Amino acid sequence: MLFCTLAAAGPLLAQQPADPLAGRLPPAAAAQVRAIAAQASARALPAASLVQKAIEGAAKGVPAARIVAAVQALADQLASAAGAIHDAGITLPDSASIEAGAFALTAGLSAAQVRALAKAAGTTGQRATALGVAGTLAALGVPTAQTVDLLSRSLGSAGDLNDLAGQVEAGMAHGQSAAAAAAGLAHGHPATPNPHRPTTAHGGSRKP
Amino acid sequence: MREFHPLVKRWLDGELSAEQLGAELADELAEARALLAAVDRAPVTLAPSVEQRVMAELRRRPTTRWSRAWRWIRETHELRLRVRPWAVAALAAAAVLVILLAPGRQASAPAAVAQTPESVFVKFVLYAPGAHQVSVAGTFNQWDAQATPLAPANEPGVWAATLSLPVGQHLYAFVVDGRRWVADPTAPGVDDGFGRRNSIIAVTPQGRVS
Repeated sequence: MLFCTLAAAGPLLAQQPADPLAGRLPPAAAAQVRAIAAQASARALPAASLVQKAIEGAAKGVPAARIVAAVQALADQLASAAGAIHDAGITLPDSASIEAGAFALTAGLSAAQVRALAKAAGTTGQRATALGVAGTLAALGVPTAQTVDLLSRSLGSAGDLNDLAGQVEAGMAHGQSAAAAAAGLAHGHPATPNPHRPTTAHGGSRKP
Repeated sequence: MREFHPLVKRWLDGELSAEQLGAELADELAEARALLAAVDRAPVTLAPSVEQRVMAELRRRPTTRWSRAWRWIRETHELRLRVRPWAVAALAAAAVLVILLAPGRQASAPAAVAQTPESVFVKFVLYAPGAHQVSVAGTFNQWDAQATPLAPANEPGVWAATLSLPVGQHLYAFVVDGRRWVADPTAPGVDDGFGRRNSIIAVTPQGRVS
Protein backbone atom coordinates (compact mmCIF):
# COMPACT_ATOMS: atom_id res chain seq x y z
CA MET A 1 0.00 0.00 0.00
CA LEU A 2 1.30 3.37 -0.90
CA PHE A 3 -0.02 6.80 -0.29
CA CYS A 4 1.49 10.17 -0.15
CA THR A 5 0.89 13.76 0.78
CA LEU A 6 2.16 17.00 -0.58
CA ALA A 7 5.04 18.32 1.26
CA ALA A 8 8.07 20.29 0.55
CA ALA A 9 11.06 18.26 1.66
CA GLY A 10 14.76 17.98 0.96
CA PRO A 11 16.31 15.48 -1.42
CA LEU A 12 16.65 11.98 -0.11
CA LEU A 13 19.50 10.82 -2.24
CA ALA A 14 22.77 10.62 -0.44
CA GLN A 15 25.91 12.13 -1.84
CA GLN A 16 27.41 9.84 -4.42
CA PRO A 17 30.89 8.76 -3.43
CA ALA A 18 33.76 9.21 -5.85
CA ASP A 19 33.67 5.56 -6.95
CA PRO A 20 30.28 4.09 -6.12
CA LEU A 21 31.36 0.63 -7.25
CA ALA A 22 34.34 0.39 -4.93
CA GLY A 23 33.69 -2.14 -2.21
CA ARG A 24 30.46 -3.27 -3.81
CA LEU A 25 31.79 -5.32 -6.72
CA PRO A 26 34.91 -7.40 -7.20
CA PRO A 27 37.57 -5.20 -8.87
CA ALA A 28 37.38 -7.06 -12.18
CA ALA A 29 33.59 -6.78 -12.40
CA ALA A 30 33.76 -3.13 -11.36
CA ALA A 31 36.25 -2.49 -14.15
CA GLN A 32 33.92 -4.14 -16.67
CA VAL A 33 31.00 -2.03 -15.51
CA ARG A 34 33.12 1.11 -15.74
CA ALA A 35 34.10 0.19 -19.27
CA ILE A 36 30.46 -0.31 -20.28
CA ALA A 37 29.57 2.99 -18.69
CA ALA A 38 32.41 4.78 -20.46
CA GLN A 39 31.29 3.39 -23.80
CA ALA A 40 27.74 4.51 -23.05
CA SER A 41 28.93 7.99 -22.13
CA ALA A 42 30.84 8.19 -25.39
CA ARG A 43 27.56 7.49 -27.20
CA ALA A 44 25.76 10.21 -25.19
CA LEU A 45 23.84 7.62 -23.20
CA PRO A 46 23.10 8.17 -19.48
CA ALA A 47 25.82 6.14 -17.77
CA ALA A 48 24.57 6.84 -14.26
CA SER A 49 21.72 4.38 -14.65
CA LEU A 50 24.23 1.67 -15.58
CA VAL A 51 26.17 2.25 -12.38
CA GLN A 52 22.88 2.19 -10.50
CA LYS A 53 22.06 -1.20 -12.00
CA ALA A 54 25.40 -2.56 -10.85
CA ILE A 55 24.84 -1.19 -7.36
CA GLU A 56 21.38 -2.77 -7.33
CA GLY A 57 22.79 -6.15 -8.32
CA ALA A 58 25.49 -5.98 -5.68
CA ALA A 59 22.93 -5.04 -3.02
CA LYS A 60 20.79 -8.00 -4.00
CA GLY A 61 23.73 -10.35 -3.75
CA VAL A 62 23.69 -11.21 -7.44
CA PRO A 63 26.84 -12.92 -8.77
CA ALA A 64 29.26 -10.49 -10.40
CA ALA A 65 29.06 -12.06 -13.85
CA ARG A 66 25.31 -11.68 -13.88
CA ILE A 67 25.59 -8.09 -12.75
CA VAL A 68 27.90 -7.30 -15.66
CA ALA A 69 25.50 -9.02 -18.04
CA ALA A 70 22.54 -7.05 -16.68
CA VAL A 71 24.47 -3.79 -16.99
CA GLN A 72 25.36 -4.63 -20.59
CA ALA A 73 21.71 -5.50 -21.31
CA LEU A 74 20.60 -2.16 -19.88
CA ALA A 75 23.23 -0.35 -21.94
CA ASP A 76 21.84 -2.05 -25.03
CA GLN A 77 18.32 -0.96 -24.08
CA LEU A 78 19.46 2.61 -23.53
CA ALA A 79 21.02 2.54 -26.98
CA SER A 80 17.82 1.12 -28.46
CA ALA A 81 15.73 3.78 -26.76
CA ALA A 82 18.07 6.56 -27.89
CA GLY A 83 17.93 5.18 -31.42
CA ALA A 84 14.14 5.04 -31.40
CA ILE A 85 13.88 8.59 -30.11
CA HIS A 86 16.45 9.71 -32.66
CA ASP A 87 14.39 8.06 -35.39
CA ALA A 88 11.43 10.11 -34.21
CA GLY A 89 13.29 13.20 -35.34
CA ILE A 90 14.99 14.13 -32.08
CA THR A 91 18.60 14.76 -32.99
CA LEU A 92 19.99 14.86 -29.46
CA PRO A 93 17.73 12.91 -27.10
CA ASP A 94 17.96 13.97 -23.46
CA SER A 95 18.98 11.57 -20.67
CA ALA A 96 15.54 11.53 -19.03
CA SER A 97 13.82 10.55 -22.27
CA ILE A 98 16.41 7.85 -23.00
CA GLU A 99 16.05 6.37 -19.52
CA ALA A 100 12.25 6.51 -19.77
CA GLY A 101 12.42 4.91 -23.19
CA ALA A 102 14.61 2.10 -21.87
CA PHE A 103 12.15 1.63 -19.02
CA ALA A 104 9.30 1.39 -21.54
CA LEU A 105 11.27 -1.21 -23.49
CA THR A 106 11.84 -3.16 -20.28
CA ALA A 107 8.11 -3.02 -19.59
CA GLY A 108 7.35 -4.54 -22.97
CA LEU A 109 7.01 -1.77 -25.53
CA SER A 110 8.75 -2.21 -28.84
CA ALA A 111 11.29 0.21 -30.29
CA ALA A 112 8.70 1.22 -32.88
CA GLN A 113 6.22 2.06 -30.12
CA VAL A 114 8.82 4.10 -28.29
CA ARG A 115 9.51 5.94 -31.51
CA ALA A 116 5.81 6.60 -32.05
CA LEU A 117 5.38 8.04 -28.59
CA ALA A 118 8.54 10.13 -28.88
CA LYS A 119 7.20 11.54 -32.11
CA ALA A 120 3.78 12.28 -30.63
CA ALA A 121 5.20 14.15 -27.65
CA GLY A 122 5.64 17.84 -28.27
CA THR A 123 8.27 18.80 -25.73
CA THR A 124 11.27 17.20 -24.08
CA GLY A 125 9.54 16.98 -20.70
CA GLN A 126 6.38 15.61 -22.29
CA ARG A 127 8.41 12.97 -24.10
CA ALA A 128 10.10 11.67 -20.96
CA THR A 129 6.78 11.68 -19.11
CA ALA A 130 4.92 9.88 -21.88
CA LEU A 131 7.55 7.16 -22.13
CA GLY A 132 7.68 6.72 -18.36
CA VAL A 133 3.88 6.50 -18.08
CA ALA A 134 3.84 4.08 -21.00
CA GLY A 135 6.19 1.81 -19.10
CA THR A 136 4.04 1.99 -16.00
CA LEU A 137 0.83 1.26 -17.94
CA ALA A 138 2.47 -1.72 -19.61
CA ALA A 139 3.70 -2.91 -16.24
CA LEU A 140 0.13 -2.66 -14.95
CA GLY A 141 -0.93 -5.02 -17.75
CA VAL A 142 -2.33 -2.63 -20.33
CA PRO A 143 -1.53 -4.08 -23.78
CA THR A 144 1.30 -2.10 -25.35
CA ALA A 145 -0.65 -1.13 -28.48
CA GLN A 146 -3.48 0.16 -26.29
CA THR A 147 -0.93 1.96 -24.13
CA VAL A 148 0.48 3.80 -27.13
CA ASP A 149 -3.00 4.62 -28.40
CA LEU A 150 -4.15 5.97 -25.03
CA LEU A 151 -1.04 8.08 -24.56
CA SER A 152 -1.15 9.41 -28.11
CA ARG A 153 -4.73 10.56 -27.52
CA SER A 154 -3.86 12.03 -24.13
CA LEU A 155 -0.87 13.93 -25.51
CA GLY A 156 -3.30 15.95 -27.55
CA SER A 157 -5.52 16.82 -24.62
CA ALA A 158 -4.98 19.11 -21.68
CA GLY A 159 -5.02 16.27 -19.16
CA ASP A 160 -2.08 15.28 -17.03
CA LEU A 161 -0.37 12.18 -18.40
CA ASN A 162 0.72 11.26 -14.90
CA ASP A 163 -2.91 10.71 -13.94
CA LEU A 164 -3.40 7.90 -16.44
CA ALA A 165 -1.66 5.14 -14.52
CA GLY A 166 -3.48 6.08 -11.33
CA GLN A 167 -6.83 6.07 -13.14
CA VAL A 168 -6.13 2.66 -14.63
CA GLU A 169 -5.27 1.40 -11.18
CA ALA A 170 -8.50 2.87 -9.84
CA GLY A 171 -10.40 0.93 -12.49
CA MET A 172 -8.53 -2.24 -11.59
CA ALA A 173 -9.42 -1.68 -7.96
CA HIS A 174 -13.06 -1.77 -9.06
CA GLY A 175 -12.55 -5.16 -10.64
CA GLN A 176 -11.81 -4.08 -14.20
CA SER A 177 -8.98 -5.56 -16.18
CA ALA A 178 -6.13 -3.22 -17.02
CA ALA A 179 -7.21 -3.21 -20.65
CA ALA A 180 -10.83 -2.42 -19.77
CA ALA A 181 -9.78 0.36 -17.44
CA ALA A 182 -7.54 1.86 -20.12
CA ALA A 183 -10.32 1.53 -22.68
CA GLY A 184 -12.62 3.43 -20.35
CA LEU A 185 -10.08 6.23 -20.17
CA ALA A 186 -9.71 6.30 -23.93
CA HIS A 187 -13.46 6.81 -24.24
CA GLY A 188 -13.53 9.46 -21.58
CA HIS A 189 -14.93 7.33 -18.77
CA PRO A 190 -12.33 7.29 -16.03
CA ALA A 191 -13.03 5.00 -13.13
CA THR A 192 -14.33 6.50 -9.94
CA PRO A 193 -11.53 6.53 -7.40
CA ASN A 194 -11.71 3.68 -4.96
CA PRO A 195 -13.17 5.04 -1.72
CA HIS A 196 -10.96 2.69 0.22
CA ARG A 197 -7.86 4.25 -1.27
CA PRO A 198 -8.58 7.86 -0.46
CA THR A 199 -5.31 9.71 -0.54
CA THR A 200 -3.92 9.16 -3.99
CA ALA A 201 -4.79 7.78 -7.35
CA HIS A 202 -2.46 4.88 -6.79
CA GLY A 203 -2.00 4.14 -3.17
CA GLY A 204 -4.58 3.59 -0.55
CA SER A 205 -5.72 1.54 2.31
CA ARG A 206 -5.35 -1.77 0.63
CA LYS A 207 -5.80 -4.33 3.36
CA PRO A 208 -2.80 -6.55 3.73
CA MET B 1 -7.10 41.13 65.33
CA ARG B 2 -9.93 41.91 67.75
CA GLU B 3 -13.26 40.62 66.51
CA PHE B 4 -16.23 42.54 67.92
CA HIS B 5 -19.78 41.27 68.33
CA PRO B 6 -21.95 42.05 65.27
CA LEU B 7 -24.12 44.40 67.34
CA VAL B 8 -21.04 46.30 68.49
CA LYS B 9 -19.94 46.52 64.86
CA ARG B 10 -23.32 48.05 64.01
CA TRP B 11 -22.84 50.54 66.88
CA LEU B 12 -19.41 51.41 65.45
CA ASP B 13 -21.08 51.99 62.08
CA GLY B 14 -23.62 54.30 63.74
CA GLU B 15 -26.56 52.01 63.05
CA LEU B 16 -27.37 51.31 66.72
CA SER B 17 -27.24 53.34 69.89
CA ALA B 18 -25.32 52.16 72.97
CA GLU B 19 -28.58 51.51 74.83
CA GLN B 20 -29.68 49.00 72.21
CA LEU B 21 -26.68 46.77 72.81
CA GLY B 22 -27.67 45.43 76.22
CA ALA B 23 -25.71 44.90 79.43
CA GLU B 24 -23.98 41.73 78.29
CA LEU B 25 -22.08 43.73 75.67
CA ALA B 26 -21.12 46.54 78.04
CA ASP B 27 -17.48 45.45 78.36
CA GLU B 28 -17.08 45.05 74.64
CA LEU B 29 -18.73 48.43 74.09
CA ALA B 30 -16.32 50.05 76.52
CA GLU B 31 -13.41 48.52 74.68
CA ALA B 32 -14.74 49.85 71.37
CA ARG B 33 -15.20 53.29 72.86
CA ALA B 34 -11.55 53.23 74.04
CA LEU B 35 -10.38 52.34 70.55
CA LEU B 36 -12.44 55.12 69.05
CA ALA B 37 -10.99 57.58 71.52
CA ALA B 38 -7.50 56.56 70.47
CA VAL B 39 -8.16 57.40 66.84
CA ASP B 40 -6.71 60.75 65.85
CA ARG B 41 -9.46 62.49 63.94
CA ALA B 42 -7.56 65.66 63.39
CA PRO B 43 -7.46 66.58 59.68
CA VAL B 44 -4.13 66.00 57.99
CA THR B 45 -2.60 69.15 56.67
CA LEU B 46 0.30 68.90 54.27
CA ALA B 47 3.05 71.40 54.48
CA PRO B 48 3.02 73.92 51.62
CA SER B 49 6.43 72.65 50.54
CA VAL B 50 5.00 69.23 49.68
CA GLU B 51 2.67 70.60 47.04
CA GLN B 52 5.45 72.71 45.59
CA ARG B 53 7.76 69.71 45.35
CA VAL B 54 5.11 67.56 43.65
CA MET B 55 4.32 70.23 41.07
CA ALA B 56 8.00 70.88 40.44
CA GLU B 57 8.52 67.18 39.78
CA LEU B 58 5.64 67.10 37.30
CA ARG B 59 7.03 70.10 35.42
CA ARG B 60 10.49 68.53 35.40
CA ARG B 61 9.32 65.45 33.47
CA PRO B 62 9.89 66.07 29.75
CA THR B 63 6.85 66.09 27.52
CA THR B 64 8.29 66.12 24.04
CA ARG B 65 6.28 66.33 20.85
CA TRP B 66 6.92 62.65 20.24
CA SER B 67 5.81 61.62 23.71
CA ARG B 68 2.62 63.61 23.28
CA ALA B 69 2.10 62.07 19.85
CA TRP B 70 2.74 58.61 21.23
CA ARG B 71 0.28 59.26 24.06
CA TRP B 72 -2.27 60.49 21.51
CA ILE B 73 -1.78 57.32 19.48
CA ARG B 74 -2.26 55.09 22.49
CA GLU B 75 -5.33 56.89 23.74
CA THR B 76 -8.80 56.10 22.47
CA HIS B 77 -10.32 58.66 20.14
CA GLU B 78 -13.66 58.88 18.55
CA LEU B 79 -13.42 58.88 14.78
CA ARG B 80 -16.31 59.91 12.63
CA LEU B 81 -16.32 59.32 8.90
CA ARG B 82 -18.80 60.62 6.41
CA VAL B 83 -18.28 58.90 3.08
CA ARG B 84 -19.94 58.92 -0.29
CA PRO B 85 -20.59 55.43 -1.79
CA TRP B 86 -19.01 56.35 -5.14
CA ALA B 87 -15.82 57.38 -3.37
CA VAL B 88 -15.62 54.02 -1.59
CA ALA B 89 -16.04 52.20 -4.91
CA ALA B 90 -13.34 54.32 -6.52
CA LEU B 91 -10.93 53.62 -3.66
CA ALA B 92 -11.57 49.88 -3.91
CA ALA B 93 -10.95 49.93 -7.67
CA ALA B 94 -7.72 51.85 -7.14
CA ALA B 95 -6.56 49.30 -4.56
CA VAL B 96 -7.23 46.45 -6.98
CA LEU B 97 -5.27 48.23 -9.70
CA VAL B 98 -2.31 48.81 -7.38
CA ILE B 99 -2.25 45.13 -6.43
CA LEU B 100 -2.50 43.94 -10.03
CA LEU B 101 0.08 46.32 -11.44
CA ALA B 102 2.63 46.10 -8.65
CA PRO B 103 6.06 45.06 -10.05
CA GLY B 104 6.39 42.15 -7.63
CA ARG B 105 3.22 40.62 -9.04
CA GLN B 106 4.85 39.53 -12.27
CA ALA B 107 7.89 38.16 -10.47
CA SER B 108 5.66 35.84 -8.49
CA ALA B 109 4.69 33.71 -11.50
CA PRO B 110 7.99 31.84 -11.75
CA ALA B 111 8.07 31.71 -7.97
CA ALA B 112 4.81 29.78 -8.01
CA VAL B 113 6.36 27.32 -10.40
CA ALA B 114 9.37 27.00 -8.14
CA GLN B 115 7.04 26.24 -5.25
CA THR B 116 6.08 22.98 -6.91
CA PRO B 117 7.30 20.44 -4.38
CA GLU B 118 10.39 18.57 -5.48
CA SER B 119 9.75 15.79 -3.00
CA VAL B 120 6.70 14.02 -1.76
CA PHE B 121 6.18 11.98 1.37
CA VAL B 122 5.34 8.41 0.47
CA LYS B 123 4.29 5.70 2.89
CA PHE B 124 5.49 2.19 2.17
CA VAL B 125 3.61 -0.65 3.81
CA LEU B 126 4.26 -4.37 3.64
CA TYR B 127 2.40 -7.22 5.28
CA ALA B 128 5.11 -9.63 6.33
CA PRO B 129 3.92 -11.83 9.19
CA GLY B 130 6.77 -13.50 11.02
CA ALA B 131 9.37 -11.06 9.75
CA HIS B 132 11.92 -9.76 12.24
CA GLN B 133 13.16 -6.90 10.09
CA VAL B 134 11.84 -5.19 6.97
CA SER B 135 13.36 -2.39 4.92
CA VAL B 136 12.79 -0.78 1.54
CA ALA B 137 15.58 -0.28 -0.98
CA GLY B 138 15.46 1.31 -4.37
CA THR B 139 16.83 3.85 -6.76
CA PHE B 140 16.10 6.53 -4.16
CA ASN B 141 18.57 5.15 -1.59
CA GLN B 142 21.22 3.47 -3.74
CA TRP B 143 19.56 0.10 -3.14
CA ASP B 144 20.87 0.15 0.40
CA ALA B 145 19.03 -2.58 2.29
CA GLN B 146 19.88 -1.02 5.66
CA ALA B 147 19.14 2.62 4.83
CA THR B 148 15.36 2.69 5.19
CA PRO B 149 13.96 0.26 7.73
CA LEU B 150 10.21 -0.16 8.14
CA ALA B 151 8.75 -0.15 11.62
CA PRO B 152 6.05 -2.47 12.93
CA ALA B 153 2.65 -0.83 12.48
CA ASN B 154 -0.33 -1.12 14.79
CA GLU B 155 -1.70 -4.20 13.06
CA PRO B 156 0.18 -7.46 13.58
CA GLY B 157 2.53 -8.36 10.75
CA VAL B 158 2.26 -4.93 9.10
CA TRP B 159 5.42 -2.89 8.58
CA ALA B 160 5.47 0.73 7.46
CA ALA B 161 7.80 3.64 6.76
CA THR B 162 7.22 7.11 5.40
CA LEU B 163 9.96 8.75 3.42
CA SER B 164 10.48 11.72 1.20
CA LEU B 165 10.95 10.85 -2.45
CA PRO B 166 11.99 13.18 -5.24
CA VAL B 167 9.41 13.69 -7.94
CA GLY B 168 9.94 11.14 -10.69
CA GLN B 169 9.88 7.44 -11.29
CA HIS B 170 11.54 5.07 -8.86
CA LEU B 171 12.13 1.34 -8.69
CA TYR B 172 12.18 -0.41 -5.35
CA ALA B 173 11.75 -3.65 -3.46
CA PHE B 174 11.29 -4.67 0.15
CA VAL B 175 14.02 -6.54 1.98
CA VAL B 176 12.74 -9.00 4.58
CA ASP B 177 15.09 -10.09 7.34
CA GLY B 178 18.03 -8.58 5.50
CA ARG B 179 18.22 -11.17 2.75
CA ARG B 180 14.90 -11.80 1.02
CA TRP B 181 14.02 -9.27 -1.68
CA VAL B 182 10.27 -8.94 -2.15
CA ALA B 183 8.40 -6.91 -4.76
CA ASP B 184 5.51 -4.78 -3.51
CA PRO B 185 2.45 -6.96 -4.15
CA THR B 186 0.26 -3.87 -4.56
CA ALA B 187 2.37 -2.03 -7.12
CA PRO B 188 3.17 -2.62 -10.76
CA GLY B 189 6.51 -4.25 -11.39
CA VAL B 190 9.12 -4.89 -14.06
CA ASP B 191 11.93 -7.39 -14.57
CA ASP B 192 15.00 -6.24 -12.67
CA GLY B 193 17.43 -7.96 -15.03
CA PHE B 194 18.53 -10.38 -12.32
CA GLY B 195 15.59 -12.74 -12.47
CA ARG B 196 13.47 -10.87 -9.94
CA ARG B 197 10.91 -8.06 -10.06
CA ASN B 198 11.23 -4.44 -9.09
CA SER B 199 8.20 -2.42 -8.08
CA ILE B 200 7.47 0.93 -9.70
CA ILE B 201 6.46 4.15 -8.06
CA ALA B 202 5.94 7.33 -10.05
CA VAL B 203 5.81 10.39 -7.81
CA THR B 204 4.22 13.42 -9.41
CA PRO B 205 4.48 17.05 -8.31
CA GLN B 206 0.78 16.86 -7.43
CA GLY B 207 1.60 14.26 -4.82
CA ARG B 208 0.12 11.35 -6.67
CA VAL B 209 1.85 8.03 -7.07
CA SER B 210 1.31 5.25 -9.52
